Amino acid sequence: MNPSNTNRSGSSVNIVWIVVGGFAIILGGVLLSTLTPLLLPTEGSAEAQQVDALFRFMLAIGGAIFLLVNGVLAYSIIRFRARANDYSDGPPIQGNTTLEFVWTLIPAIIVTVVTIYAYSVWVNIRSVKENEQLVNVTGQRFAWSFTYNITESELSALGLSPEVTTDERVTSRFAEGGSVPFNYPQLHTWVGQPVHVELQTQDVNHAFWIPGMRIKQDLLAGRVTDIRFTPIEPGVYRIVCAELCGSGHGDMAGRVDELGNLTGAWLVVHPDEETFLREFYSPEAGTTVATLVEEDPVVIGRQLLISGTYPCAGCHVLDDLSWSSVIGPNLNNIGNRAATRVAGLSAEEYIHNSIRHPADYVVGGYSNLMPQFNPEPDQPNYMPEEHLDAIVAYLLTQQEG
Amino acid sequence: MATITRPLPGSLPVTVPHPRLNEYLRWSVDHKIIGVQYMVTALFFFLFGGTLAMLIRWELLTPTLDLMADGSAYNSLFTMHATFMIFLWIIPVLAGFGNFLVPLMLGAKDMAFPWLNAFAFWLIPPAGVLLILGYFAGQAEAGWTSYPPLSTLFSGDGQTLWALAIHLLGLSSILGAINFIVTVKNMRPEGMGYFQMPLFVWAIVATSIIIVMATPFLTGGLTLLLLDRVAGTQFFNPAGGGDVLLWQNVFWFYSHPAVYIMVLPAFGIISEVLSVHSRKPIFGYRAIALSSMAIALVGFTVWAHHMFTSLTPELRIPFMITSMIIAVPTGIKVFSWLGTIWGGKIRFTSAMLFALGFLSMFVIGGISGVMLAAVPFDIHTHDTYFVVSHLHFVLYGGSVFGIYAGFYHWYPKITGRLMNERAGKIHFFLTYVGFFFTFFPQHIVGMLGMPRRVAVYAPEFQSWNVIISIAAFVLGISTFVFLVNAVMSLSRGRISGANPWRALTLEWATTSPPPAHNFIGDPVPFKNPYGYGTQASHAYLEAIDQRYGVSAMPNTDVTTPAPTSKLTSGD
Repeated sequence: MNPSNTNRSGSSVNIVWIVVGGFAIILGGVLLSTLTPLLLPTEGSAEAQQVDALFRFMLAIGGAIFLLVNGVLAYSIIRFRARANDYSDGPPIQGNTTLEFVWTLIPAIIVTVVTIYAYSVWVNIRSVKENEQLVNVTGQRFAWSFTYNITESELSALGLSPEVTTDERVTSRFAEGGSVPFNYPQLHTWVGQPVHVELQTQDVNHAFWIPGMRIKQDLLAGRVTDIRFTPIEPGVYRIVCAELCGSGHGDMAGRVDELGNLTGAWLVVHPDEETFLREFYSPEAGTTVATLVEEDPVVIGRQLLISGTYPCAGCHVLDDLSWSSVIGPNLNNIGNRAATRVAGLSAEEYIHNSIRHPADYVVGGYSNLMPQFNPEPDQPNYMPEEHLDAIVAYLLTQQEG
Repeated sequence: MATITRPLPGSLPVTVPHPRLNEYLRWSVDHKIIGVQYMVTALFFFLFGGTLAMLIRWELLTPTLDLMADGSAYNSLFTMHATFMIFLWIIPVLAGFGNFLVPLMLGAKDMAFPWLNAFAFWLIPPAGVLLILGYFAGQAEAGWTSYPPLSTLFSGDGQTLWALAIHLLGLSSILGAINFIVTVKNMRPEGMGYFQMPLFVWAIVATSIIIVMATPFLTGGLTLLLLDRVAGTQFFNPAGGGDVLLWQNVFWFYSHPAVYIMVLPAFGIISEVLSVHSRKPIFGYRAIALSSMAIALVGFTVWAHHMFTSLTPELRIPFMITSMIIAVPTGIKVFSWLGTIWGGKIRFTSAMLFALGFLSMFVIGGISGVMLAAVPFDIHTHDTYFVVSHLHFVLYGGSVFGIYAGFYHWYPKITGRLMNERAGKIHFFLTYVGFFFTFFPQHIVGMLGMPRRVAVYAPEFQSWNVIISIAAFVLGISTFVFLVNAVMSLSRGRISGANPWRALTLEWATTSPPPAHNFIGDPVPFKNPYGYGTQASHAYLEAIDQRYGVSAMPNTDVTTPAPTSKLTSGD
């Protein structure tokens, strides 16, 4: 029994089988595609809905092809196995031009349709939206930081005292550049707000991935890249580094600590703009603007460390900034310990000297790996004295309790 | 079970002395010895790379770093796993099959350039040693893709050793490919046109064209990388006017075609095995032969789909279109193979089981490949376990299943003995089940949010990873069933005779193993290497029996020779 025999026995039977089989395969593909919500994280963005619809479509077609190939295979294995003591050959069929034409044409049509569909989704998710929130993302080994830009028009919403907003040091900053940046280790936005992120790396390539938003974009040394998304579901979404960046690559993602607190990089989608301003933006931006008046070194030091201006995150643990790399000494509660490290040195002097001359202050159990940060602009690893003072001031606040 | 088939009256099995063991351990210009040298060397590295894979899966049993000392140690694990599997297992083992088979299939005495052939092989052991030294000494840890600046400004000396070793392997590959092209062009016997060649030879030609055109880009890129590392140049350093995307383009301009370097010869093996063991001509010979060439050519236009998250957005769509197009010739092959077994007389030998297993699993790799070609979906799944799964469905479910099918199929030609079929079947079922449960769930954890190349992952993925690791251990164990069988069968396997599978390609028209210059007298090629079920093939196989003695039929328990190629109604 072979296809040519079946043909002779009546093509109507053959057509019925093809129709029934084809229907079963397509139905199977469609049924498989209903599994889509189980295979992907929560649809957190408008883009996610479109990407998931594309996947569902491809899974239906792919599922049908899988069932076709494995169905034919299973049928052949059962139907065409050589019976015991049957040493004969099969029929000498060399090919069938019509059939070969059909199975070239149908896949060609399928990939054409998938390509057109994928292109239309691509155009949608790439499009520039009105009223975007611009956030600058910085990747460094092994932490993310997010830079928000405070504009003059937002000042009134920040809950600052009138004296601050009219202070010359504040108004002059806005007069110069129009906005004041502040850094934060999480990305905050709200439902329905289109977000435009611009990405830069301080060292190697990274990839900025928010699985819940279905977006990913590499950070490339020497370039600025960008990507857009519009969240539609409130909640917290893990931010992940998807491009190998070194020993702490797996740590460069949102985590949950033993107490259930979020650490590392997370996207926080507030239900509405009001909540966003109340719970995140106004307090944080207000503190930053107030710093322009108070020149508080603790805030400035913290901002400097988050910004990734210096590569400290690559080697140290510091929970306050979501650093997790264990190459160098742990900086948690450094303010409690610093004064006791070297006899005769105050806590402030100890931290200051450790950054200026790290080779002289290697902590037991660690290697002499830390770069020396120098005070003069023409030296390598330049760190101006005012930066160092601010960083020391911030680190001294890292105390228990 | 060492039952030897009773020969027909007047036709004693013809045997020739086997090569002695020490001939395999030294310089030889005999393509058959070189072929075996490639295969055995590659198997050794397969074990090494497989051991690293087991360590990776062990580490991933928990979402924290515990087995490995630090992240760098884990990074060098998967870097070395990929490097060994690609450059020292799949590519050389397939080169081994090519070396052993191409001259035999063409009825030639040897390759066109025997000395060059030996030289190409002997570049491999030092490169392997260099890599192993690099692993234990300096730790290359930038992944097999070795993206700068991680691989230049942020990596240790192991990275330099790594680049040197790949450089040597690239040279070996190019020399081997030139040799194949010249051999096929010049050494076919009279009466064998290009469209009478076995499809495995077509696959090797297509592969060799890719190697000759693409591998120089890899070696060129590695030269720049080495200069950046040791001579202070700044080709890939933006601070010095260089560009990190330059490496990605050059690397993938080789490394995407390299996927076809690794899978086209396996396609060739599958074409041979399916036709012989279903006793039916290959369905659509020209379509399969020409689709190999189409894949080779279109394969050069798709490289940047590996860069959908780094490439300039405007350039992504053209590469999506080419990547979709390449699915069509691959689909033609799959459907032609199904057409081949349809209506045949399928013999479930171990070789055939692996070929059928290849068909059922490779199609998943093909489907996920089309999904990944769609830019918006790739953006979500890029650099996740979805991609890890896809590439293993292509390179394990595709290439490695094909390689196993090839081992079971040609082992009797290489050694004169058959491998144990019962152990072969155990090997197949363990591999098939272990493979599926190792790699299929990786699609799902990838889509759910687990990136690749991490030792520390979100705790919600742990249960998936435990399933994957257990299946991976089964897959690891299955390899030893194969290796033990291959070693034991050297002395205990049934004597196979010249043509145990009653195949029509020329490598079976000589003794097993073949004599020093392959054929006794001039070989007479059968005009259609896949003409099963015809009167002419029946007569041809009878003539082979008369000349070399009757061969064992391993898939039956009968001790008398089976009637050859009984004719069917279609003739």
